[in-house]
Amino acid sequence: MTLIRFKASQEQDVDLSVTYDAVVVGSGAAGGMAAHVLTSQGMKVLLLEAGKKIDINSELRSMEWPYDHPRRGEAPPGYHAIRFNEYNVRKPPYATKSAFKHVFSYVGGWGGSDYVKNILVDEKDHPYTGTKYAWVRARLLGGKTNIWGRLALRLSDYDFKGKTHDGYGEDWPICYADIEPYYDKVDLYLGISGHKENLPHLPDSLFQRPNKLTGSEVKLRKSLATMNRTVTPYRAGVTTDGVKNKYRSKCFGRGACGRRPGGCDIHAAFDSPTGLIYPAMDTGNLTLRTNSTAHEVLVDPNTGKARGVSFVDSQNHRTYEAKAKVVIVAASTLESARLLLLSKSRQHPNGIGNSSGHVGHNFCEHVMGPGVTGLVKDMVGAPPTLDDGKPGGFYVPRFRNLQDKQPGFIRGYGFEGGSGFSIFPDSAWDTPGFGGQFKKSVREHAGAFISMGGFGEVLARYENYVDLDPEVKDAWGIPSLRFHYEFSDNEKKMCEDMANAGKEMFEAAGVEVVGVDKNILTEGWSIHELGTARMGNDPKTSVLNQFQQSHDVKNLFVVDGSSHVSASCQNPTWTIMALAWRSCEHLADEFKRGNL
Amino acid sequence: MKISRRTMIQATAAGVAGAAALPLVKLPVALPKPKFFTPAEFALVDEMSDMIIPTDQQSAGARAAGVAMYIDGRLAESFEPEQPQRWRAGIKAVEALSREMHGKTFMQSTPEQRVTLLTRIAAAESDPKSDAEKFFKEIKGGTIRAYYTSKIGIHDDQQYKGNVIQPGEYAGYDAT
Repeated sequence: MTLIRFKASQEQDVDLSVTYDAVVVGSGAAGGMAAHVLTSQGMKVLLLEAGKKIDINSELRSMEWPYDHPRRGEAPPGYHAIRFNEYNVRKPPYATKSAFKHVFSYVGGWGGSDYVKNILVDEKDHPYTGTKYAWVRARLLGGKTNIWGRLALRLSDYDFKGKTHDGYGEDWPICYADIEPYYDKVDLYLGISGHKENLPHLPDSLFQRPNKLTGSEVKLRKSLATMNRTVTPYRAGVTTDGVKNKYRSKCFGRGACGRRPGGCDIHAAFDSPTGLIYPAMDTGNLTLRTNSTAHEVLVDPNTGKARGVSFVDSQNHRTYEAKAKVVIVAASTLESARLLLLSKSRQHPNGIGNSSGHVGHNFCEHVMGPGVTGLVKDMVGAPPTLDDGKPGGFYVPRFRNLQDKQPGFIRGYGFEGGSGFSIFPDSAWDTPGFGGQFKKSVREHAGAFISMGGFGEVLARYENYVDLDPEVKDAWGIPSLRFHYEFSDNEKKMCEDMANAGKEMFEAAGVEVVGVDKNILTEGWSIHELGTARMGNDPKTSVLNQFQQSHDVKNLFVVDGSSHVSASCQNPTWTIMALAWRSCEHLADEFKRGNL
Repeated sequence: MKISRRTMIQATAAGVAGAAALPLVKLPVALPKPKFFTPAEFALVDEMSDMIIPTDQQSAGARAAGVAMYIDGRLAESFEPEQPQRWRAGIKAVEALSREMHGKTFMQSTPEQRVTLLTRIAAAESDPKSDAEKFFKEIKGGTIRAYYTSKIGIHDDQQYKGNVIQPGEYAGYDAT
């Protein structure tokens, strides 16, 4: 791209004349972790975030009662969250011709859309094209960690060595023993709540106080134990005993955690700004520039190495250049792929770091939708208890294709679930009739339901990929991503099994099944996209080495979920941070030795 | 019992069950007026919402919780024209059904007649066909949303324990 370069705007007060040791693109879990590790190693780091820096506490208003909000949490007129049907019957871009003033991904429609209207991107400004995909993007300091679901799980060698186990795909270039010390570091630095289960396929963390289970969950736990399956309290990236961090408090279990889309005003729940970025700024080594959308990794024409990043100020639409000795891309799986593909030069004609042609490919995630809802009869009429005073309900770890071999599909899935009373009795929607009987029934049943939904591994396949749209651009003139992505037969068979297995488990526990959902949600729904710049030992079939370092450009690192070789069925955030910690430690060592 | 619209709004403003008995003259603040519904429409929505979630021994009902006024506020500012149109058409359909069944408007009918009508349109709840049946689903959904997010719904009826500082004891059981 030919662009006119400007100096940094005064109000940002960021010196762009100096060459930083490292520039980090993106401030979510991965970018925040990179900033933390590198600044603690004494490196001078510039952190670029495409979104705003907003006061997340006043945005999320965690303790606001619904009745103190004029629309009980709903967004003002003219705001619209894309619905499931819209995602499926229409094709991207979803918002271009919409009559609404602002259009958001589906996340804007749950948990109180007024609280996320400044967090999610407006789809009108951020179009994408191609196959249907529910792409959820949060552009602000901290990215999606401001609204994440907080389930913090480790991967195991069933994941890292999946090919060895079942022959499909590629093994990761690391094994569990390589990453275990870094999982431990993440646990200790950020805090994690959970209960030890000693499962080989879901390694335990260094847990703080676990959350309690409801009576319904205990019933299910006891029953599943006889099937050699587990119900464990939600493993949450939430500090329940506290951590050494002045920006964060421990969890007091105040409740209504499910009402907000993940946000926590006391920051007991991990978010990148308070957990990683503010402490990194306190070292004096971190410079932050928000509203800075990177659109090209700049290349030294002589060496072919990265020399910095070109970015657009999202407010004044001007383009600037940040100079750095090392470039670290952490813009999220899909945005990182987009940035690499955008960075075309004479040395890197297919995009920087893309001599393998694998950038954008092997795109994978979690498939979800199938689930089960049940009624626990002995909980009907129980007095109300504070059951949502915790970050989540329960988790059922994977049990398929570990020792057994399923006929219809490979890999596995886990269930996330919840039960008991909450601030809003959702069962009212399905309670028939009206009048005194209706009202009494809602009250008596409010705490008696239990439900869970599956999260399954989507196989990494080369044919599932993103590239740049040749015509469509975003509001800043940057070419949009184009999706070529769909679930395969393996995911569909797995989803059939999810619904059946969920029903069987509830029935075995004596829970009356009142609903079985078999529908698969639109691609993207899990917000766990991964794999578009995978690691590997072979530069011909992978983009990064085991330290998330580009095979082609040694001072270029991609430290987010795009580096993952397979999706596993375990939620990725904790692994993203553990990997980034490991890679950035290696990076700092190499930097000090002058090897980058 | 027949309640006039004014008395009913007063009850809403006072925010307590039984406030309908208060004399009008003592009301200190100006009464909010519906922005979207006509007075007759508002009376119907208010009455029907209170039939869906009435006052019982546990808590006051939809009327005291200001459900109709909340729905009115949302419809008045609706960006999409379809939703307000649907409500208006639904109310018309209910009135037409009321005249067909009882020869008078919904509000002119006796409480027993209103229950008969509501029972009829609620019967097809799982698969509503007529406009009046569809309206039942609409108003029931609106009532549920508004009531269980109101002070009365959250505190008096559901007796929700959270969203306040907790003393450090947690409900539930350890995983053992």
